[in-house]
Amino acid sequence: MLQELINPYYLQVLTFILINIVLGLGMYVTLSTGQLSLGHAGFMAIGAYTSGILTFTYEMPLFVGIIAGTLLAGIFGLILGLPTLRLQGVYLAIATLGFGEVMRVVFVNWESMTNGAVGLSGIPNLGREMTDALRNIGFEASSIGLRSNALGSLLVFLFLLVLAIIIFIFFRRQSQSRVGRAFAAIKMDESAAEAMGINITYYKVLAFVQGAMAAGFAGAIYAHVTGYISPSDFDYHRAIDILIFAVFGGSEVVWGPVFGAIFLTAVPEFLRAIAEYRYMIYGVLLVAMMAFRPQGVIDHRVLYRFKRKRQDKKAAKRKKEVR
Amino acid sequence: MAVLEVKNIAKRFGGIQALTDVNFSVGEGEVFGLIGPNGAGKTTMFNIITSMFPPTSGDITFLGEKLNGLKPFEITKKGICRTFQNIRLFPDMTVLENVTVGGHCRTQSGVWSSVFHTKKQKQEEAAASKRAFELLELVGLSEQADEFADNLSYGQQRRLEIARALASDPKLLLLDEPAAGMNEKETNDLFDLIQKIKASGITVLLIEHDMPLVMRICDRMAVLNFGKEIALGTPEEIRNNPEVIEAYLGKEEEDEN
Repeated sequence: MLQELINPYYLQVLTFILINIVLGLGMYVTLSTGQLSLGHAGFMAIGAYTSGILTFTYEMPLFVGIIAGTLLAGIFGLILGLPTLRLQGVYLAIATLGFGEVMRVVFVNWESMTNGAVGLSGIPNLGREMTDALRNIGFEASSIGLRSNALGSLLVFLFLLVLAIIIFIFFRRQSQSRVGRAFAAIKMDESAAEAMGINITYYKVLAFVQGAMAAGFAGAIYAHVTGYISPSDFDYHRAIDILIFAVFGGSEVVWGPVFGAIFLTAVPEFLRAIAEYRYMIYGVLLVAMMAFRPQGVIDHRVLYRFKRKRQDKKAAKRKKEVR
Repeated sequence: MAVLEVKNIAKRFGGIQALTDVNFSVGEGEVFGLIGPNGAGKTTMFNIITSMFPPTSGDITFLGEKLNGLKPFEITKKGICRTFQNIRLFPDMTVLENVTVGGHCRTQSGVWSSVFHTKKQKQEEAAASKRAFELLELVGLSEQADEFADNLSYGQQRRLEIARALASDPKLLLLDEPAAGMNEKETNDLFDLIQKIKASGITVLLIEHDMPLVMRICDRMAVLNFGKEIALGTPEEIRNNPEVIEAYLGKEEEDEN
């Protein structure tokens, strides 16, 4: 009975939505310090290839590959983040775009390791590994009335849902803390932030590394969901995809990229006719957003309207306490 | 002991000599004025004290310690904080958040304590926003605590800048034209506020063009003109200094000719 409820196609779309949410959050955290990076496709590639090669070529367990991919992307974030600190706006975008292209070219040409432009196939599938692990402890898919590939898709979705929620909570809590206020201050006015005692070097690199790690993690998961990666999966278009989740949804608040990733992944899936024109629509969307709503659909003030009532109560309470 | 000593400070921007051999020292608890016509180098002096850029030559000593080569955020941590002539608040933050950011260098919570909401972090957050709220009461903005900073009027924004700077618990507060664009009532409120700040033991270095205010509030002052220090003394001495009068009003002979 459960078998009828679970549609593998929808689960796949939901899984990609979750991967894109993580990518969007990684873009958001970098943007939240005012750093416009187009290198996230490169970090994603590092995560994907690291995990893919470790698990496929060297037959390591999946979790080792995923963690290694995430960490290595973070290390590359540090290496790229430090020298590009002084770059602002479009100059940083160009430098990081260059980084992404360099990574892609490396993966194309390092054939002994990456299999070049043909790509790496046969990467262990996350769903299958999880079903196998369950079978080893004596749990069969059929015992809840599922085929094993459906159970695999379901497990991947649930696993990613939990992780995406954890990552979301991480960034949300961070954004509402001293660290998040420092990020926001740097974004709004770098020299005023520094005059207020904020070590901008530290926080900018921190945000850059966090963004790189989120992209690396998403890349590693992507490799184990699709089972096949090639350098063209992480090209310029991917960088724009990731950017636009945050730019369309909103890069000021953590809900923005979540909305952007859900909306921009779901709509092309459900409106197949439009999907072909996706990049044209993205182009128009980018221009329109920059002209009319540069902060994205969801910004501080939208959230503020939701919170207003709660804050009024809080303010009243605080006044009483002070008196 | 002097809180701040400025010794032989000079600053060159390419071919422009912005400051030449400026010397003054600010005693503890003083309100010290830095005045002079536009372009005299007053804000340049502030930027040097706060290490926004280094002086070409000379030393800044704060509480007996040379500040050469420190970064701006380290200066703030040492206990010097400033406001800006052209208001530089964080526009998309609430008034309360702006002041809380000012307390950044007096708090410690990092990423992990923020993410796990540790007890210490919660206490620190509560203490920080309580302190920020008290400062808003001090400058008279507690009613606007949850407004966005850019919704405030000009005079309110100036006071918010002062509250934000005070949140860093400075020993020396640098105010860059706090009365600019204020009406008479707002200027009077500002006078009271600076008195309160002084009474709480904070030394104030003030750039201001509003002469009646400066004369009333400053204990001593230095006058700059074209980057040179032309006078140093009490308001009374400055008022009667012929060179100062000349800098502000021009030479009498020129008028006659």
